[in-house]
Amino acid sequence: MHNGLSRRSLLSLGAGAAAASALAACGGGGGDAGGEISKDAVKLRFTWWGSDARHKRTQQAIDMFTKKYPNITVSGEFKEWNGYWDSLATTVAANDAPDIIQMDELYLASYAERGALLDLGTATKHLKVDGIDPAALDTGKVDGKQYAVPTGVAAYSIVANTTLLEQYKIPVPDDSTWTWDDLKRIGLEVSKASGGKVTGVQSWGFDAGGVNIWARQAGATLYDASGKVSIPPAVLAGYWQYLLDLAKQGIAPAPSVTVERAGASLDQSGTATNTSAFGTWWNTQLTSLSAASGQQLKLLKLPTNGQAAAAESPYYKPSMFWSVSSRSKHPAEAALFVDFLLNTTEAGEVLLTDRGVPSNSTVRSAITGKLADTDKAAAEYLAALKVGAAPRVTPNGASGIEAILKRHTEEVLFERQTPQAAAESFIKELQTEIDAA
Amino acid sequence: MSTLGSARKRDNKAAYLFLLPWFAGLVLITAGPVTASLVLGFTDYNLIQPPEFNGLENITRMLGDQRLHHALGVTFKYVLISVPLQLAAALGLAMLLDRGMRGLAFYRSAFYLPSLLGSSVAIAVLWRQIFGAEGLFNQLLNLFGITGRGWISDPDTALSTLIVLNVWTFGAPMVIFLAGLRQIPVMYYEAAQVDGASRWLQFRRITVPLLSPIIFFNLVLQIIHAFQSFTQAFVVSGGTGGPSDSTMFYTLYLYQRGFHNFDMGYASALAWLLLIIIAAFTAINFWAAKKWVFYDD
Repeated sequence: MHNGLSRRSLLSLGAGAAAASALAACGGGGGDAGGEISKDAVKLRFTWWGSDARHKRTQQAIDMFTKKYPNITVSGEFKEWNGYWDSLATTVAANDAPDIIQMDELYLASYAERGALLDLGTATKHLKVDGIDPAALDTGKVDGKQYAVPTGVAAYSIVANTTLLEQYKIPVPDDSTWTWDDLKRIGLEVSKASGGKVTGVQSWGFDAGGVNIWARQAGATLYDASGKVSIPPAVLAGYWQYLLDLAKQGIAPAPSVTVERAGASLDQSGTATNTSAFGTWWNTQLTSLSAASGQQLKLLKLPTNGQAAAAESPYYKPSMFWSVSSRSKHPAEAALFVDFLLNTTEAGEVLLTDRGVPSNSTVRSAITGKLADTDKAAAEYLAALKVGAAPRVTPNGASGIEAILKRHTEEVLFERQTPQAAAESFIKELQTEIDAA
Repeated sequence: MSTLGSARKRDNKAAYLFLLPWFAGLVLITAGPVTASLVLGFTDYNLIQPPEFNGLENITRMLGDQRLHHALGVTFKYVLISVPLQLAAALGLAMLLDRGMRGLAFYRSAFYLPSLLGSSVAIAVLWRQIFGAEGLFNQLLNLFGITGRGWISDPDTALSTLIVLNVWTFGAPMVIFLAGLRQIPVMYYEAAQVDGASRWLQFRRITVPLLSPIIFFNLVLQIIHAFQSFTQAFVVSGGTGGPSDSTMFYTLYLYQRGFHNFDMGYASALAWLLLIIIAAFTAINFWAAKKWVFYDD
């Protein structure tokens, strides 16, 4: 990454030691990703976000790896989603990034284009990617370089609590035909039947997945191929109008409750606490949700708007990626560890579908028989889904989209802005961030 | 004479030696980054790649940055409401305690405690629990048949919960007030009582003027402190400054630009703007002090 970077600006200002040491630190991690695996003691740091269930599984996989390679120790640093990115940005800036980084599609371009990630193409000696579907593999490329390898794929879904539906004697909707209006109607029935204890729907509007799907159902996309924001304001306004309707008609909780839950962890969500009958989730979160909920949860396809474009609106999202820090002192060992997580059946049998249905086809078929019911349901959901082409990777600068989205959703829910005004403001602000990056 | 001089020199050396850890800390931990941030304020710096000089661009950008203006508005509101309330609470309690009640030491500690804890993460987390939709505060309201709301997740009330939190930490100025009240000679009050002055008149004509240097000191300190508030808003809003930017303190906005949007050049410029704002407020305070602060000496 140090090629072609100008040192002139700061040094000419005589900025002194702080900047100079930061520059010096840019000069590669010192290790060679294609080198031999060290026989000496090696310490790796590995960071991820997720729920309790994931932490346990991941720690198990780490233990298996360190047993196999006794000279390597891997220390896990795990956080929940909201805190994860603050801490990652801080550690990367402080030149103290963990060696192995669980990466998300939202941030991939931001980190890769700024040179924080290792080009895994240089690490193929230890990290093999030939078992992975090329289309999935491509989602980890930025400017043609493989900065990240997808752990698995996921798709957006509705998680329905069938225990609650049964309790209120409401039939599970047929997800091959249902529309957004149906969701409203059934949601209202639940809210009424429970006397307000349970709401029909847990409102969304805080994650990029929901907006992506909404745009695709209307025949549009969130970003165009060149990375410009391309969702039409009217489509986005319709999205917020729908969420506003849910809140106003009592189908979703009061705005302040919705906002509170959106800031909390998965385990405190309406779905996990059995206080909302329907919620939007990535299909692979079913297992974590079921563990927290303790009730019967079922994956449903998203309702549609009845338009032709809706048929191919679902897409495979690389659920997350493995990346290695470009400043890792032990890139070869880090690559070896990623290879272990990605390509070995033994790790696959522990991790199962928690990070998506495994992208390595050998691992996928090896674990199918071992899947718990919820994991199996997640895999079946994915297999049965009719998907279109994956959306463009989130452009550099747009990694803050969810914060911008959240703020505008709040503006709409608390009726401080009309959906139309929010849509225009959102598009303008997101585009400004992209242009500035 | 010479022995005295060398003894003084030796003393100076010892003093410098004792100062060294503090001085090293100042230079390495504070002065270095402060200088660096001044330089970075004139660059485009994304944390990962080296900064690029961009002249006054960050400054012109501040003029058109509506979210910055909003954050300034929120911060001013917070400072201008919470500091006077906090000082009033501190002075009131100090005067109550000064009347020589039993168990004074206990009460003094009890009231002082929140100011030690107030800006901690733990308290901010606790605040979230208390003022959440199903929090303690709403349970209390329920006892009286009032249905509350998510105080922290509602943009109309979120800032107020933070103001309450700041007022609650009145302990530190209270202890200073208490010390100041002790300095006021009792004879003034006795003389006033003999002349038949009411309690209120005594307060206005004796306590306030004689305490004014202390009030001034607390005012300056607490304003600076309030401008720099960060932890409370960060933890209570989950780092977002939400709902809908209602708790977007200046420092939080600065942090978001720097660490969420990889915009450290602009964030550094913002840090210096905050310094200028605080300096301006302090200067105004000192200027105004000439009109109302009374120095006995």
